Amino acid sequence: MFERLELMRLAHGLAAHAAQRQALVAQNVANADTPGYRARDLAPFESVFRETPSVPLKVTRPGHVGGAPSVIAAEGRDAPDAEEPNGNTVSLEDQMLKAAEIRHQHDLALGVYGSALSILRSSIGRR
Amino acid sequence: MDEFFQGAAAAASGLKAQAHRLRLVSENIANADTPGYRRKVTDFEAVLRGGQPTGEVAAGPVRLDPREQERIWDPASPLADETGTYLGSNVEMVIEIADAREAQRSYEANLRLFDQARQMARGLLELLRR
Repeated sequence: MFERLELMRLAHGLAAHAAQRQALVAQNVANADTPGYRARDLAPFESVFRETPSVPLKVTRPGHVGGAPSVIAAEGRDAPDAEEPNGNTVSLEDQMLKAAEIRHQHDLALGVYGSALSILRSSIGRR
Repeated sequence: MDEFFQGAAAAASGLKAQAHRLRLVSENIANADTPGYRRKVTDFEAVLRGGQPTGEVAAGPVRLDPREQERIWDPASPLADETGTYLGSNVEMVIEIADAREAQRSYEANLRLFDQARQMARGLLELLRR
């Protein structure tokens, strides 16, 4: 049962990560012609999602549940594509490719979350 | 959910800026033969709110290209001076058409991202509905 909950937490983190990336990519594309604009992105999900919780809970007996893995609110960092003469580092093609990846990541996360949710529901007897 | 609205706002500002750019291009093309016409150009700039970049873009003020206009040789024209030439425009069709293509491409990219933000938000809401 608790693995299911952790799976849902992981899926939630993945969906939140994809949503944040989507906002950054939209901003990059909007500024594709702005002189001096630097393209931004987030670090990959694996490095953002920590395995240990930020505040470790004390576990004194076997069977105690420790703290849950947490998702750090990630900061947008510089992620340039090819640099243009006017200082702009956005490439439309690369950003569209990223958008497709993000869509896939988000759909995956929602799909996993949805099926974990329905398994949980049926395990408590509700359809 | 908030990030979807942020992304949609950025994409919408991109649509507006590219549409403005396309309008300037069509004005230039329409006036390619107007005597003395200088082509209109604009730069995009990042929108700031309270000193912080919002991620949105806006078209800056419209400027006139300072390049020299073409001198057209036509002694029969009423505008011709003693050398038989008059001042044309500084619009080059090839540049304007290339600019129009690029503006259209950027417009479509912005539109696709706007749509994607909308669909991702809807997918999230549908999860709630189940």
